[in-house]
Amino acid sequence: MRMMSTEQTLRGAGALTIALALLLVPALFPNFLVYQFSLTLTYAIAILGLNLLMGFNGQISVAHGVFFAVGGYTTAIFMTRYGMNYLATLPFAVAIAALLGFVVGVPALRWQGLPLAFITFGLAVLGPPLALKLEPITKGATGISMPKPEVPTWFPGNQDTFIYALCLLGIAICVLIAWRLTSGDTGRSLRAVRDNPLIAESLGVNLTKVRLAAFTTSAGFAGFGGGLFAIVNAYVSPESFQMTKSFDFLVGAIVGGITSISGAFIGALFVVFLPDWSADMNIALSGLIYGGAMVAMMLVARDGVVGLLGSLSRALLARLRSARDRGAAIATKTRPAE
Amino acid sequence: MQLFLQQVVEGLASGAIYGSLALALVLIYRATRIVNFAQGEMATLSAYLAWQLHQWGVPFALCLVIIAAVSFVMGALTFRLMIRPVLGASDHTMVVICIGFFVGFEAICLWFWGADPRAFPRIFPEYAWTIGAIRLTANNLGILVSLCIMTLGLSALFRFTRIGLAMRASAAEREKSPLVGIQVETMLMLGWGLAATVGFIAAVLVAPSLFLSPPMMVSVVIYALAAATLGGWDSPAGAIVGGLVVGVAESLCATFIGFIGNELKVGVPFALMAVILLVRPQGLFGTTAVIRA
Repeated sequence: MRMMSTEQTLRGAGALTIALALLLVPALFPNFLVYQFSLTLTYAIAILGLNLLMGFNGQISVAHGVFFAVGGYTTAIFMTRYGMNYLATLPFAVAIAALLGFVVGVPALRWQGLPLAFITFGLAVLGPPLALKLEPITKGATGISMPKPEVPTWFPGNQDTFIYALCLLGIAICVLIAWRLTSGDTGRSLRAVRDNPLIAESLGVNLTKVRLAAFTTSAGFAGFGGGLFAIVNAYVSPESFQMTKSFDFLVGAIVGGITSISGAFIGALFVVFLPDWSADMNIALSGLIYGGAMVAMMLVARDGVVGLLGSLSRALLARLRSARDRGAAIATKTRPAE
Repeated sequence: MQLFLQQVVEGLASGAIYGSLALALVLIYRATRIVNFAQGEMATLSAYLAWQLHQWGVPFALCLVIIAAVSFVMGALTFRLMIRPVLGASDHTMVVICIGFFVGFEAICLWFWGADPRAFPRIFPEYAWTIGAIRLTANNLGILVSLCIMTLGLSALFRFTRIGLAMRASAAEREKSPLVGIQVETMLMLGWGLAATVGFIAAVLVAPSLFLSPPMMVSVVIYALAAATLGGWDSPAGAIVGGLVVGVAESLCATFIGFIGNELKVGVPFALMAVILLVRPQGLFGTTAVIRA
């Protein structure tokens, strides 16, 4: 019982720290970095979707960059071609990405595990040339640029802060949904399918349905992140959604920790800021670190940074507690002598 | 008709390359139940090493022999250092590790040789025969012959040698093989080394026409994945046949379906893979795994 409450306190403290840090960003950093943090949040949404899928449901997707791209293009096209309000395009971004997820999931999910990895890997490679080739819709290599959202008069801040606030609101909604999905009965059946499909099935969980639903939802998250990305960036082109984007999300998910919601933020920070920082030394460095991080995390820390922090703080607490108990024991021993 | 036959010949030649990389994938899959997404990137690194050695003035044939051996060691070491510690973990873990290799090996190539494509020397002379209306280049013929020799060599190794038998045994029965004195982990390591060498051969065959660049093998890996899925993951012969089928399908689709063209060729293996997974998930020559609950 006590262990449980420590765990919850730790998680609560972590979530609170992240929330506070996110709220303080516009006050602490210059405009350019605020823009970077907005990008980070859009990535974090896609990674959150990936965490739901990989961490909580035990399926893998190497193609979340493609769902992200679909969301981005949907927002861009609906804004420029149909003159829609940027916020109104987001539900479409989610729906179309989720639909693609559903279509991809159907052949792959019947045969769990590796086939899903092949199909999504193929999709990740196929995505960028397809975006180039569908020129009538995507405008090919030129890309689509659209206006940045206007700052409403009531908002106390500049454009970058406003967009950041939008992303913050977006991710807050996503975290709520993810939290809701991973707790209660839905969460239990998701995890049951991950941990032991046979038992889950014998207890009446429809494996295909749960897996397909998880995959579709996860793709929808990536689509939402992509839509917000298009709004933040005010421009989309095949260049923004290269194959490596899919790997970026995978790295982010793994580094942050796939079984946690807060891991998505840490992972997104990692994949947004590391390439910027390392490109000064060598353009290949970030790839080397990504590859190394994926292998190393699997070898030593499968629960990512969040998992590492968790076990570190648990170890620390246990040590403190045993020190305190020892202190108490010494105290009781010495008392009779008085 | 003439164009059709010509495209079939071209398709067979590229299919032979896909088949060899698929063979490498199947070798690893049979031994360790891992699909090595990074097989192509490892092969690209080997090809770069061979190119570099040749630049330094070593005769090309000698380069190939040396780097074939180096690739073997590289594959074996990759297994020993990074796969063995997590052997038996979930597919999920393995996919992440292999994607990690994929990104990492590509970054190593980019680090040392940059992104500019480089011309890779041809092994086969620039010569062509015209049979009927079809042009058969020495390069295409050479690729097909190389595939045949490699397949025969590997079959002979697995069929007639003691070490081949031990490798087959450890792939089939990892728990029981040690009981008859087989060093299973050594055999798995040999399997990874062998696969790396086979991958290197595929890269050497494909490099003259694609030019050497860090992402050279990315699309080839997709073709190889499709080929192995088509043929069945536990069947080396299936990988070869699958490779040839994928090669011909790709070449025909790219020529005769206007929308696909050169840019979307990579969609063909993807579609084939999706269809085969829907219709016959164990592949044409594969066997269904029996799962005991």
